[in-house]
Parts: sequence; C-alpha cells; structure tokens
Amino acid sequence: MDGAHEGPAERHGLIGTAGMSTMRVLLALLVLLLLPVAGAHAQGDPPGVKGLFLLTDYPSQTVRAGEVTTIRVKVNNAGLVPQPLALALNGVPAGWKIDLLGAGRPVASVMVGVNQDVTVQLRVEVPKDAPPSPHNVVLTARGPLGQQASLPLTLTVGTEAPARLSLKSRLPSLRGTPRSAFEYTLTVGNDSGKDLTVALAAQGPANFQSTFTEGFGSNEISSIPVEAGQTKDIKLRVTPPRDVRAGDYPVLVKVTAEGATAELRVTLQVSGQGKLALSTRDGRLSGEAEIGRTSTYTLVLNNDGTAPVDEIELSGTVPANWKIEFDPKSIASIAPNDKKEVQVLVTPADKAVAGDYMASFRASARGEQASADFRITVTTSTLWGIAGIGIIAVALLVLLGAVARFGRR
Amino acid sequence: MGSRAPLAVRRQGSPFTGIGPVFMKELADHLSSVRMLVLTLFVIAFGAFPVASSLQTLRTVVDPNSFLFLRIFTLEPEQVGISFVAALNFVIPLMAIGLGFDSVNSEFNRRTLSRVLSQPIYRDALLLGKFLAGLATFAVALVALWLMVFGAGLLLLGVPPRGVEVARGLGFLVVAIAYGGVWLAISMLFSVVFRSTATSALCALGLWLFFFLLWPQLASAIVSGVAPGEIRSLEDYAALQDLAMGLMRLSPGTLFSEAVLGLLSPETRTLGPMLPAQMRGAIMGAPLPFDQSLLLIWPQITGLIAGMIVVFAAAYVVFQREEVRA
Repeated sequence: MDGAHEGPAERHGLIGTAGMSTMRVLLALLVLLLLPVAGAHAQGDPPGVKGLFLLTDYPSQTVRAGEVTTIRVKVNNAGLVPQPLALALNGVPAGWKIDLLGAGRPVASVMVGVNQDVTVQLRVEVPKDAPPSPHNVVLTARGPLGQQASLPLTLTVGTEAPARLSLKSRLPSLRGTPRSAFEYTLTVGNDSGKDLTVALAAQGPANFQSTFTEGFGSNEISSIPVEAGQTKDIKLRVTPPRDVRAGDYPVLVKVTAEGATAELRVTLQVSGQGKLALSTRDGRLSGEAEIGRTSTYTLVLNNDGTAPVDEIELSGTVPANWKIEFDPKSIASIAPNDKKEVQVLVTPADKAVAGDYMASFRASARGEQASADFRITVTTSTLWGIAGIGIIAVALLVLLGAVARFGRR
Repeated sequence: MGSRAPLAVRRQGSPFTGIGPVFMKELADHLSSVRMLVLTLFVIAFGAFPVASSLQTLRTVVDPNSFLFLRIFTLEPEQVGISFVAALNFVIPLMAIGLGFDSVNSEFNRRTLSRVLSQPIYRDALLLGKFLAGLATFAVALVALWLMVFGAGLLLLGVPPRGVEVARGLGFLVVAIAYGGVWLAISMLFSVVFRSTATSALCALGLWLFFFLLWPQLASAIVSGVAPGEIRSLEDYAALQDLAMGLMRLSPGTLFSEAVLGLLSPETRTLGPMLPAQMRGAIMGAPLPFDQSLLLIWPQITGLIAGMIVVFAAAYVVFQREEVRA
C-alpha cells in the first residue's frame, strides 16, 4: 500500500521545497497528486487515485526495550466521502502497550475530509524484557461503508542504540577586535533515535565570556531539546576581554546528552586595537595661565590597547583669541601599554578676563581618539597691583613734600 | 604770607612730635562724645535691618552659593530692598562727615587752637593726630558692626565661615575704612577751609549729596553728549561704557561699591562690560581666587587710599598756610 506511493513521492521530491521535513514534502506531494486539477498530472502520473491510505515514513523500524517510541501515521482520504473511520491494531505482542493518540489524547477513530489527512501517533511502549526479535503490528482503519486501509508495521526490538550527537559550524573561525563580539552559528544534530536534551558548554581561555542563544532568539540557554533525527541551530557568542592581546584563541564547544558528546573547536582571531587615553602626569586636569603669557602643561598620551596607535594628531579648542600649540604636533606611533608626553602651550588672549575657562585637548589617530577637558584659571598680572602701590607711594610722597614745604615752626 | 620767613629756619626734630597725645586725646573725646554714640547707633540701626532680613531669607531659602557668609552682606532682601553694603555705602560718608566736619574750626571757635599749638606740638602733628583719631574711632565702630554681623551670622545660620570668607570680609572692612577715610579727609578739609562749622558741615553734606544724587545723572549726560551719532560697533559701545564708568569712578561711592562687589561676590570677573569674545569658553559662576579678586579691584582700593592721602595733603597745605592767632 505504502510502497505504491513511494515511487511518485520520490519523483516529485525534485520539485519539493528544500529544507522541509520529509513528512511535509510527502504530504504536499500527496495532496498535489490527489488534486484532480493539479499541474502535476500533466507529467503523466496515474490520475485520480482514489481511496483511503495509511501512511508512515518508516514502516519498518527499531524500537528499544523498556522505552517508548512514537510512530506517526497519517490517515489520508483521497476523493472519498468523509466518514468516521474506526482504528484497530492487530498483532500487538504480549506485554506491549500500543496507544493510539490524536492531538495528545487517546483516540479510537478518525474522520478525514476529502483530500485531507489526519495524523495519528502510535505510542509504543516496549517491555524491558522483550526479546530482540521482529514483530508485525497491523493498523487498520475501517469505515462504515466498507472502505478500509491497513498499514503493516514491522517493529524490531533492537539493542540500545547509543545516543549520538553531531556538532557543526559553518564558520568556525572568526576575526575581530577585542571589542567585537564573536558570533558562531552552530548546528546541533541528534543522530539517535530518540529526543534528547542537549547540554551546551564552551571552554575558552580565561576571562573569555561565552553565551549560547537560540537561533534567532535572545534568551541565553544552557541546554536545548533536539528531536530524534533533527538538528537545531544555536548561536555561540564569545566576548573576549578588552585587554586581550592579538592572536588566535580556541574555544572548545562541547554538547552532551545522555553520555553522547560532540565537540567542536572554534577559533577567535583577535586582531589588536589601540586605545588612546589623554591625561596629565598626575591626572590633574586644571591649570593656571596668566593673561598674555604662555603657560605650558604636560599631557600624557597612553595607549591602553593591544595594538600600536599610529599617526596621532593633536588638536585643541580654546576660547576665542587664545593661542594653543602642541609640542610635538603629532606622534608617529605609540606601542601598546606605552605612553608619550606632549607639551601644550596655551596663551590666553590679551583681553581675557580673569576667571576659569574650559579648554579641551584632543588626540586623534586612525579610528581612535581621546580628549580631555582642561580647566584653565586665568590670572591677571600682578604688575597693576604694583602700579597701584606706586600710586599710593606717590600720594604719600606728595604729603611728605607738603610737610617739608609747608611745615612751620 | 608770614610763613615765608620761618621757612628758612629748619625745624628741629620730627614734624610729628606730639602726635601721640593729640591722637589719644581726640580718640578719648570722640569715644566719649554723645555725637559718636548717636552716629554709632545710627549706623547699627541702618545696618541691622538689612542684615536681619538677609539672615531671615538665607535661613529659609536654600542658597546654592558656596560663599554663604558673604551673602549676608550682599543679599538684597525683598522686604528691605537694600543690601547691607548698599546701606553702608550710604551711611559711611555720613558718619565720617559727622566725625570730621568740625575738627579744626571748632578749635578756632573755642579759641583753643593757639593754646594747643603753644605746646610743643607741631601743626602737622595736630592735623594728622586728629585725622588718625577720627579714622581710629570710625574703624572701632565699623569693626564692632562687622563683628556683630559675623556673630549674628554664626548664631542664626549655624555655619562657620570658611577661611576665604573671613579673608574677604576683612578685605571688605579695610575697604570700608578707606572709604570712610576719604570722607573724613574731605570733611576735615572743609573744617580747615571754613571757620564756621555749619558751613563746613553743609559743604561736606552737599558734596556727599552731589556724588550720590547728581553725579550719576551728570555723568550719563556727559557721556551722551560725547557719544557719536550712532554706535557702529561693539568696540564703540565698550569705549563709551568705559568712559561712563571712568566718570562714575570719580565718586568715592562708586569705587567703594565696585571694590565691595569684587570682594564679596567672588564670581565677579570684571567690573566693566564683557565682550562676547571674552565670554567664549568661560565657566560662568566660578568664583575667582581671592588674590585675583583683589587684583581686579586693586585700582579701586588704590584710588580710595590714594584719594584719602591726597585730600588730607590738601587739608594739610591749607592748614599750614592759615593764620591761627585770630
């Protein structure tokens, strides 16, 4: 019964949508086949297949003793009047328990619309001491008008097949800076016959942070259920510490489930990145300057990054009419964890008013820049203070002169 | 002038011999006089009102100013509408005039001058002793007032003043004494020039009123007369402002209020107009260090002290040339 449909199903597999599960391809093709006006008929398939069909992917399969196996069976109605179809199982071995489940509940009959199908699950509970031998179980669907379809299933009690996992990555080696996040898309496959909950673990160098997320989700996960024979995409995100040196870092991804293990080594190629920091020698970002006089401050440029910073240009913003100069104006390169000192010469405008002003100094290299706000307290020259004292002295001299000139006995 | 002949004779000893007794006697006279008592009460009453109101305001309103103590002096309470320093600006001349307007001519009128000068005391010493005694009296009253304000602040605000606030307050005291000294010298000049104490008092008070009421209007009238038909640039405007301020600064009251502004409002950067170019990048509201504030108002302080000396010198010259044996 089923074999008759295998042929056309395979032929039409070529036009089936890639990525769809086998079951769905089959279903789509069956519907296609059974539609009277379907374009597929033009290819010369036997037209107008009518009847009742019971379909399953693997009519002959292995079950394990002491375990529960679920077999999906599809009841297909091709061009018949819908009727309630009683389901029956024959040949259930002694001690076995096979339940018919529809939508999670035990069912005894199905009703299928014209050219539609309904999925029924066979929950096969095999006793622990079942001998390893094949058993034939026949599932029958019978309608009141005599229409009937049966599906013989061969269930072989096999030895416990160990769980098997596979782990693959399309891009196992990524390149980036210490500040970028490395995202690997991994595919976990469950190659064993039963659903597994797969625990995820990643082992990287110290201080590397790795998190797993679902394919397109944002939730962090530590394990993921994978159905038998299926694969799941997960994402591994590795964040290296900021101060990591340039180099290749391996991360070992390990998935485990019920004793099965799969490993994959992904690599982070961290290219170094420079990081500029601008400050002063003692960290004090303020200074004094006298009006019209040049004051010199020493700035310290640090490279806290992991790669040298090249071609650093220095610039600054000062209030209007002030002068600012850097010595040197540019620095060729600063090695990682190295520092260079720069003198900045600031001359307040001649007409500046005493008080506090904000100046900012900037160092910019390719892709990197640092700035520091500098508070400059402008002071007035004490020259005028001395001049004031001079005026008082002149006034006193005038008084003394008057005493000398007009003093009388 | 009869003074020509004795000029040739060199004086013996310091011209300031006998300044000590004159100073002590005058000081004792001042401090025990009813006039002094009245003047002091007048000043205290005049100062107490704004201070009490400022303290009340400062106690209820959260003032973000870090110079809380100085706000007692500069705050303009709504109920009074005049700050303590503005009140002092007004009252200090009155007190100084009260102390000095009859210092010399009353001696003439009582015919005691020739008796004093028959003692081994030079005229120089007499005038300087009288001036210094007046200044000391005035300083005593002002220091007492100042201490009262600080004490009231301590009591009612419950916050001790910071060192820099005390320093600025002391600076204010010095400026106030210098300001009083100018008016004391002026009133003594009038007391030397006029034999009648009433005339001398009237002239001194007239000058005081002139500087307070008339001079600001006169100065602005002069500026508008000098000003070009249209002001083309910011620099023109700044120049006119400078001229107006220069004229205003001829009044000792302006010098005093500017000096006080620089001392008691540390965020004051400049007393004149500030061009937008100068404002760029400036952190407004940041207080100036004390020495910078002092430098800012140094011309004002200098002007007050030098003015005091010059006016005293003028009084001295007039006094020296006068005939005392009347």
